[in-house]
Amino acid sequence: MAAPSSSPLDEDVFSQLRKPIDPAELERRDRKVNERIHSQFEKAQQRQADLVTLNSTKPITISSVRVLNAYNTRSAFLEKIFQPVLSHNRPDAEPYTLREALAEIQTAVNKLDRLNIFQQPISTYIDRPDQTDASSTPTDHNVFVSVKERGRYTVKTGTEAGTLEGSAYLNVVLRNLFGGAESLNANASLGTRTRSSYNAYFDTPILSNPDLRWEIGGQASSTLKPWASHEEVLKGGSTRLLWQTSPGHRHDFSYTGFWRQLTGLAEKASPTVRADAGDSFKSSLTHTWTNDTRDMPMLPSRGYLFKTTSELAGLGPLGGDVAFGKLEFDSQGAVPIPIPGVKGDTGISFTAGLRGGLLYPLTLSGQEAPSQSRLNDRFQLGGPTDVRGFRLSGLGPRDGQDAVGGDVYAAGGASILFPLPRTGKDSPLRFQTFVNAGRLLGLRDTRPSDSREQPMNSGQVADSVMKTVTELSNGLPSCSAGFGLVYAHPAARFEVNFSLPLVLRKGEEGRKGVSFGVGLTFL
Amino acid sequence: MSSDEPVHDDTNDSKQTPAKPSEPAARSNRGYSIFTVPAPLKRIFDRFPLVTYAENDAPLRAPTARDTHGLHIFTTASDARNGRPSFNPACLKWQTFLKIAGAPFHAVASSNHASPSGSLPFLLPTAADQATTPAPIPSSKLRRWVNAQSGANKSQEPLDVRGDAYPSLLEDGVRKAWLYQLYINPANAALVDRLYVSPCSSNIFVRMTTSHQLQQAAQHELSKASASNTIHEADVLQEAAASFEALSTLLDSDEWFFGRDGPGLFDASVFAYTHLILDSDMQWQDNALSDALMDHGNLVKHRDRMVEMYY
Repeated sequence: MAAPSSSPLDEDVFSQLRKPIDPAELERRDRKVNERIHSQFEKAQQRQADLVTLNSTKPITISSVRVLNAYNTRSAFLEKIFQPVLSHNRPDAEPYTLREALAEIQTAVNKLDRLNIFQQPISTYIDRPDQTDASSTPTDHNVFVSVKERGRYTVKTGTEAGTLEGSAYLNVVLRNLFGGAESLNANASLGTRTRSSYNAYFDTPILSNPDLRWEIGGQASSTLKPWASHEEVLKGGSTRLLWQTSPGHRHDFSYTGFWRQLTGLAEKASPTVRADAGDSFKSSLTHTWTNDTRDMPMLPSRGYLFKTTSELAGLGPLGGDVAFGKLEFDSQGAVPIPIPGVKGDTGISFTAGLRGGLLYPLTLSGQEAPSQSRLNDRFQLGGPTDVRGFRLSGLGPRDGQDAVGGDVYAAGGASILFPLPRTGKDSPLRFQTFVNAGRLLGLRDTRPSDSREQPMNSGQVADSVMKTVTELSNGLPSCSAGFGLVYAHPAARFEVNFSLPLVLRKGEEGRKGVSFGVGLTFL
Repeated sequence: MSSDEPVHDDTNDSKQTPAKPSEPAARSNRGYSIFTVPAPLKRIFDRFPLVTYAENDAPLRAPTARDTHGLHIFTTASDARNGRPSFNPACLKWQTFLKIAGAPFHAVASSNHASPSGSLPFLLPTAADQATTPAPIPSSKLRRWVNAQSGANKSQEPLDVRGDAYPSLLEDGVRKAWLYQLYINPANAALVDRLYVSPCSSNIFVRMTTSHQLQQAAQHELSKASASNTIHEADVLQEAAASFEALSTLLDSDEWFFGRDGPGLFDASVFAYTHLILDSDMQWQDNALSDALMDHGNLVKHRDRMVEMYY
């Protein structure tokens, strides 16, 4: 036998093997495989669709729904979700067609999904009962929903670092407490800025509806507020009704009662901060409405956000020590920017945001005149997550070194985001250039200077609010411009920017140079 | 607007602290970068902001009276405006002392949270200019501060052994009885509520917590002073009566303590208690201290003299 190495045929095989495979050839093969899989999948889909279409108008009745493996969930709770699906519960309606039934089942299973107590995915089967069963009719179908319950508790501990802040936390979640998707969420954290924070909230869906939830809980915390030289100690509770009317569209009604203590003043705390030091109780009703259609909230390229918050504190039976009405809105819009000649999404986008707020002093029951806002109720503005290019709370009225806050504000920003050449448009990394502007004002005393000793009456307050709002547009707003890098992590957005202040009020703290920001909402 | 307009930070700082040239430099650098900025770049940076407007108005609740020193005491807003005496002995002592010393000041109704030491009174001196806030002066340093102020009548209190021993008569004897009578005696609970609890909050939970804390603090202080957990009303009252006796003997038939021709800090300290014990505006429900004090006519006359001179 000839030596293998000498065989011309073998040589040919080995040399062929040794030769690097042509990438084009590889791509061709890949494409072929993909095409085959795709065509098979398409055919399968087509068959299924044909089958459903063929039978779509076939009348069926759903005689039973079985949720398998939901050992810790109350059956009464699940019944509320699946009752409407069962045919015998819809005596007035037309009998189901197959298509309708499938849609109905899908809606119910989606609800299960959103309750957050089952692992995803939830599988559904439809079966026909044994035709020999005397109790069944020929149209009867049984539905089986197979679920796997999530763990009944989660304990998390960790450390976090943010803008000038570090903290350690412990988080405990008890899930599906009483078998009705109730949960208890308790959180404790110790940190450098939020010195301590403890809270516990109980949350339950109402009438098995994952889009309508009720929450009640309490919290105690102590937070350093270095921009106004004090520490705020909070103790209180709240109850909340959350209602999601459609995806991204939420209402939130809440009552909160908080004992606030402004204490631990710094040596150089200003007279304004000293005057507001001490206790106050805020009792308020709040409604928040959110409509969010943005594709990616952390790095939107299309869609808009609109959010309003209205708070009413201390009026009439609410009691407490502070009385005001507070209105705030936050809006953001994003549009992708096409480049002529480039097909599809370029990854370049333009986002613009506008925010505003107004605090209207009201009269506490038992008092004759409206009470003016306190430091801890007033708005603060400025910092890497709102008006960039300013220090934290760097805008608005100041007393000495303290940012003492204002009663009326407006802030806006516009950014253009570009994908980076190396990472492309699919990465969460962007280069941005921005312009930010804002104004924060305290209510102005519009009375003649000799009559300012007396507290303002309601008419004077209304006049004062009007004058302050018009003052917003007096002169250029305080603003800054700059550029930087954005990284959008699903949990938070990170920014490193270089900026310079363009317009300032005397005393406002612009920031020249590089600043770093971490947050959930950016202007 | 002019680009040569200086950054406000620099102008303010150079005005405030001409004596310390190193500080303004450190402060203005802070605003730019943590790294040193090259000179040409710094010149560009210095052109920003391009426009600087006048500063924002202060919020309406911000204190406006800043031309005189502000003595932060327990009092009501209207009493502070009218220069009425404080209802807290420690505050009234220093309020009276400042009046005796002739230092110009205005009273500010405040709470312990505002104080650098955690308790009232303290004095917030006037600022040299709007952008700085002077450090507050706690009561322990008030006497030295008053003495350092030119223009005020210097308090020439004797600093001999006698002068140091007598304040302890007040601190041990009278103060304990005061704490007992005001905070522990249930008959005067309404008074504590009106003076100390109501100004804090109108909320029932906050009020209950506050009055409980006040009572606990008084109890703690009393048991610390007497080194026992049981406090007998008769004992503290007897001690107070003995102190009044000693004070009365010390004053004798003089107008002021230590035979001086004008009142001093010790007169203010005694007055702080005697006035509040005898003041009808306090509306005591149970005032055993008053009975003990009424036995000493010269102390009552001393109080009347002080009220006439200063309030």
